[in-house]
Amino acid sequence: MVTTPLTRREFIGTTAAAGAGILLSSCSPDSGSKSAANKASSLNKINMALIGCGAEGQVLLDSLQVIDGIRIAAVVDIWPYNLKSNVRRLKDNGFDVNGYENYEDLLANEKDLQAVIVATPDFWHAPITNACLKAGLHVYCEKMMSNTIEGARSMVQTMRETGKLLQIGHQRRSNPRYMFALNKLVRDAKICGRLTAAHAQWNRAKTDDLGWPKHSDIKPDVLAKYGFKDMHQFRNWRWFKGLGGGPLSDLGAHQIDIFNWWFGMTPRAVLASGGIDYYKNHEWYDNAMVIYEYPLPDGVARAFYQVQTTTSAGGGYFEMFMGDEGTIKMSENPSITKLYREDRAQVWDALVEKNYLSASATAAPSDAEKVDVRETAPLLQYDIPVSFSKKIHQPHLENFFNAIRGTAKLNCPADEAFASEYVIHKANDAIDAQKTLAISAEEVKA
Amino acid sequence: MSESGIHVFNHNAMATQFQVRIAGEDKTYAGQTAQAAFALTDELEQRLSRFRANSEISQIAQMVPGEKLRLSEPVFACLRLAQRMEFATRGAFSVTAAALKHQPTKPLWALVEKEFSIRCDSGRLEFDLGAIGKGFTLDRMAGILREWSCPAFLLVAGGSSILAGDASAGTAGWDCGLGDNNSPRRHRLANGSLSGSGLAVKGAHIFDPRTGLASSRRNRAWTFTTSAAESDALSTACMILDETEILDVLKRNADWLVFLNEKDEWRQLGSRPAPPLV
Repeated sequence: MVTTPLTRREFIGTTAAAGAGILLSSCSPDSGSKSAANKASSLNKINMALIGCGAEGQVLLDSLQVIDGIRIAAVVDIWPYNLKSNVRRLKDNGFDVNGYENYEDLLANEKDLQAVIVATPDFWHAPITNACLKAGLHVYCEKMMSNTIEGARSMVQTMRETGKLLQIGHQRRSNPRYMFALNKLVRDAKICGRLTAAHAQWNRAKTDDLGWPKHSDIKPDVLAKYGFKDMHQFRNWRWFKGLGGGPLSDLGAHQIDIFNWWFGMTPRAVLASGGIDYYKNHEWYDNAMVIYEYPLPDGVARAFYQVQTTTSAGGGYFEMFMGDEGTIKMSENPSITKLYREDRAQVWDALVEKNYLSASATAAPSDAEKVDVRETAPLLQYDIPVSFSKKIHQPHLENFFNAIRGTAKLNCPADEAFASEYVIHKANDAIDAQKTLAISAEEVKA
Repeated sequence: MSESGIHVFNHNAMATQFQVRIAGEDKTYAGQTAQAAFALTDELEQRLSRFRANSEISQIAQMVPGEKLRLSEPVFACLRLAQRMEFATRGAFSVTAAALKHQPTKPLWALVEKEFSIRCDSGRLEFDLGAIGKGFTLDRMAGILREWSCPAFLLVAGGSSILAGDASAGTAGWDCGLGDNNSPRRHRLANGSLSGSGLAVKGAHIFDPRTGLASSRRNRAWTFTTSAAESDALSTACMILDETEILDVLKRNADWLVFLNEKDEWRQLGSRPAPPLV
């Protein structure tokens, strides 16, 4: 292992001269804390900034603080209340960060950045991402890519033009449990048999609109400069057209992306219903139900998605893939994950032996000529034998930083994410149109 | 809103109900403030719960001796406080008490201040923050309420820990009883915390970390301190400590007060004046 951090140029030289094994060990992160005195950005210590410190920004910041080999150099937010408290909190936690009101100030002042994380309201994603890519930075942008298809398409375009990395924040794509379940259980072992349907949901209870502390208002001219009508709209932007995409894009985006990822294709049609059933001052639907049609090689599979924002009932948030031999219910919350085997399917003993599945007890020997009599045996329960205790966004961020180092491939590059982005926008369109909309394989390409 | 002009909001978290009561504010603003405080409760539960696979406490439980793990600011602060309370109560409070159910000796750990990390020194760090986490959460929620300029509040965590801000207008403090509903022993609480521990609800659920056995020195104990995390942890310790030990602990912590009720007689240990009686 090298003892001196590599510069980017040295790294590229090493890449050209050596095999992958050496490359990996050369890129090991520096030892010691992330607030090391040496602030120069290198592949061993990637200088990065977070743009947008709202609720999602906080979640990402939480993961960023525990990832080795990066330095949080700056945070950006137009709300002084948010900016100050985040800078203070990071400094209290040992990070030497600068704070900026906007990304232009960031780019003008921080000359040693390699990457930015964008977690602003959706309608700012495309302009900020495009500017940062053009400034030579790699970008991790939260989903949705943009509040418009055109905005999302421009991001893919800029990624291609600049040759920089653009990862979209569909963090389940780097979740080891999801990756294992898809690659080993669904694709390799085919535990679901022929996939015929999928169902995903994320319901949440009615909540009041977000407020803000007294004396923390952003000045009206500043709000207007950044595209907000007032503080209420700023705090509740997700509900306004032109700023966000409503619950289907806030919550559904993650899960509809799983439909595409696991089915390995985009749907050929979408039918949807939704409405502003409850809230009086919102522009986006509070409840929506969507059906996609996937033309799988073995036959059509339909995927139902619901996001209700007036009740939290219904069994939590999950994505369930159903086939004629089994069903797998996935969730970021492992306690919701379930595996079901149809009676007609082959027993899963061999998969347990192969460590593809874990079982609650040893299965009784299946000898057709013998039987033993004793207490009633409990029904076997199966689980995915992959434990995952990191913060849920951490592996996806690590994948991004490792891709910058050249030791990994992005798990959700923008051009791939665009296909999901497109069909999510189409679901909102289908609600507006109140009819089934066809989706061609061509139109989902950026 | 009650007739007294107090707005009450409830939220389920940490396997119990949290309550925010706010006085002297309009309902909408009070509701938004409570919402911000409850969002923090959920965030802290996600970090501190041993039942959440991705929580920092679950991550800590997977560490092997010699390993270090960087912690978030709230978890680091909570564990630092837990360490201090373990020392102050002479080991009667310990976040690793429950680990003795599965391990012969308590696991050892240390906080590395400069790196905001925890180091596992021995054993498996099976932390249970049940006796300090709710109080810690109330302290942090109080920070939000003050930040939102709502100084007159009362925060309740499952009925076992409460934290009062300023008194509501025209009162000397929030009317708080020690014991079951409508307890005759009532105090006016302002800018302080009361916690109770006992065997009535969950049975002998308090382990003596010094012996690994369920404790039954008394049926109930109450504590009064400035910080809710301290009162929460101290009330658990008082279920285990004998009276001489409690007095010794209080001698070194003049800000703490303990209430005991034995044979229908109330006694108060410690030199801090109690909140005024109702």
